[in-house]
Amino acid sequence: MTDKIKNDDAASPNRRQALKAGLQLGGLAAGATVAGNSLAMDTTKPSDPLITEIQDWNRYMGDGVDSNPYGSPSKFEADIVRRDVAWLTADTKSSVNFTPIHALDGIITPNGLCFERHHGGVAQIAPSDHRLMINGLVDTPLVFTMEDLARFPRENHTYFLECAANSGMEWRGAQLNGCQFTHGMVHNVVYTGVRLKHLLAEAGVKVRGKWLLPEGADPAHMTRSIPMEKAMDDCLVVFKMNGEALRPEQGYPIRLVVPGWEGNMWVKWLRRIEVGDKPWHQREETSKYTDLLDDGLARRFTWEMDVKSVITNPSPQAPIMHGKGRTVLTGMAWSGHGTIQRVDVSIDGGRNWLTSRLDSPSFSKSVHRFYYDFDWDGREMFLQSRAIDSNGHIQPTKDALRRARGENSIYHNNGIQTWHVRADGSAENVEIS
Amino acid sequence: MMIAVSLNTKALCGHSARITAAVCILASFGVSAADSQAGENVFKQCSACHEAGPDASHRFGPQLNGILSRGAGNADGYTYSAALNDRVSAGLTWDEDTLDAYLKAPLTYMPGTKMAYVGLQDEVDRDNVIAYLATINLDGSASGDSSDDAASSAVADSSASGPAAEAAPRPLAIDVPIPTHGVLHLGRPATEEEVAAWDIDIRPDGKGLPPGKGSVLTGVDIYDAQCASCHGVFGEGEGRWPILAGGFDTLTDARPEKTIGSYWPYLSTVYDYVRRAMPFGNSRSLSDDDVYALTAYLLYLNDLVDESFELTDQNFAQVRLPNEGNFIADNRDEESWFGAAQEACMNDCIEGPARVMQRARVLDVTPDSEDEDGGGTLD
Repeated sequence: MTDKIKNDDAASPNRRQALKAGLQLGGLAAGATVAGNSLAMDTTKPSDPLITEIQDWNRYMGDGVDSNPYGSPSKFEADIVRRDVAWLTADTKSSVNFTPIHALDGIITPNGLCFERHHGGVAQIAPSDHRLMINGLVDTPLVFTMEDLARFPRENHTYFLECAANSGMEWRGAQLNGCQFTHGMVHNVVYTGVRLKHLLAEAGVKVRGKWLLPEGADPAHMTRSIPMEKAMDDCLVVFKMNGEALRPEQGYPIRLVVPGWEGNMWVKWLRRIEVGDKPWHQREETSKYTDLLDDGLARRFTWEMDVKSVITNPSPQAPIMHGKGRTVLTGMAWSGHGTIQRVDVSIDGGRNWLTSRLDSPSFSKSVHRFYYDFDWDGREMFLQSRAIDSNGHIQPTKDALRRARGENSIYHNNGIQTWHVRADGSAENVEIS
Repeated sequence: MMIAVSLNTKALCGHSARITAAVCILASFGVSAADSQAGENVFKQCSACHEAGPDASHRFGPQLNGILSRGAGNADGYTYSAALNDRVSAGLTWDEDTLDAYLKAPLTYMPGTKMAYVGLQDEVDRDNVIAYLATINLDGSASGDSSDDAASSAVADSSASGPAAEAAPRPLAIDVPIPTHGVLHLGRPATEEEVAAWDIDIRPDGKGLPPGKGSVLTGVDIYDAQCASCHGVFGEGEGRWPILAGGFDTLTDARPEKTIGSYWPYLSTVYDYVRRAMPFGNSRSLSDDDVYALTAYLLYLNDLVDESFELTDQNFAQVRLPNEGNFIADNRDEESWFGAAQEACMNDCIEGPARVMQRARVLDVTPDSEDEDGGGTLD
């Protein structure tokens, strides 16, 4: 009872009685009101105690602001993590894991979920100990500290990074049952860094300089040859991803960004750039990252990542749980040649196509997000997506790629992906006629 | 009392740059200056195959928690070699002396051991890494005390590149000189020694090759000690580690074997890669001559030279690999699907309803699932 009522007691003893009588009347009145609106509310089924009962999180305090100086997702999201497939490689230190794309939305990959690919484990380098050298066919070979790099003019760009071996397991047919594993060697982040051409200008590139050799500081000392036109175009040396410092797994303190080109060239833990007049034919552009064709010849310097898309939900890791009716289908599309112009979706395995709704900021060489909202009739479906990029390239079928290249090229599988959705809403990776 | 003193500090101390003269002399007098902190640094070489500490698990080698107290050959869940099991039956247990002898020359101390490691020649390094392992308990926790003697500070990582000591006052901004090079005048010129330290790449025309030589026969020993445990005695690849030899005429097979001899275009790639990245877990530990010897041996394993062959910086460019001419430029733009002028079919694009031709081979992709082999390795 409130103080107000207590005070009034002294003044008017009958006021409490009057108040009580009034409440009873009011209660009846309330009852009458409920009866009047009963058409809207459910009176047949029992109520959900999650609503009718006070829950712990309604009542008891949670963590204070000093508990999590670097925040993490809710514990209820704990199964949304990078995953690796143990039998793919001999050792986790020269291996890959996969972005959980089945559970993400929008176009930005959170830093902690960006897939990793290392050849010598994650180097842990103090930024004060790290140096970037430029040598070779330059006027002045130079050494930069990280503080030096922070003094160059900066740019921000959103780019996808895709490993050329993404979907490589699927050349022979449907293999891994989940888009995280079939398509998860890709991420999309906002990079902050410096145009490579500014750094090269400090050293002064000689006229004979036609190729670059970036090199990493990790135990693999990763190297690739990059033609000078690309280096001087949009390549960046970056130190931030999505606003914060590069993660160690992504090359802290600096990495190279080669927009639209295969991920292996984006050297992490970048320590040196050599300017030369010929390519070096390093291991990662001869033994690896060359595409063997069925006639025994192999393509080399297959730099660009082609137009590609995948439906992330529904997918084997994201079955349809709600039954027939209104359904949201979503996926991602990207191209190393530019922006995505259109993504078509089929529910009958490519016999008929409808155009989906692109809904995200659209940047060149960045992931785009598409949605297809439809009424599912509850019958089995063969879901496919087909992206078209700003150069007019149309994502091909896996069969078209195999006809052109055979099954052993390992890299650059940008074929259309099919998910078989069954009548119970579960989904499976399949190949169809 | 007469004390036999060995003044052969170099023999005892080896070539390790980590050890200062003071520690060497102490060691040669038999004074224990074991430093577990320095030992942790030495352990980095071992960590390619061994884990130690909390949550340590078996890798190529067993986890080493409590190795000095738990006995030999008894880590749960690890398959030891027959050689080690025999020694254990004969009474072998790990203590400072037996570990020291084993680490110095594993293949001599225990022929047939799985630990195909060339050995830790430096006595102080061995003392230190054993001291480090002694600090790790059976449950992976640390026993706390790391020796904090003169050796510790003497062996401390001398990173001359760190920021200036806190005590030094900051210079006035106006007094900081601006370099003359470039456009924005940032960075500083590199020294010749710095460039030489990092400029390790080799080109197919031989540019970058260091002076040196190595024979097939020298290469055999280095390969057996440092490479065979992963790449196989004949370069056939152990488990999922890469195959290096063989595979001739398999490139058009259903499952091609791409090796140095069957696929790689240039020998320089072998030299360059071994020099910068191998052995796995101990990069940049081979000498230039070692790399010549290994490269010669890899040619031999691929039947491209005979056992009398010696590879040098002079004859290097004459060695050609069989598959050199079979690489073409990227011509994906000639594929039929690539053309930009096409229309995408929207209706009745394929005859008849879709039929499943193949289902996912690996339904459960979680790490525990080892039933399916998938379509081959990734690496």
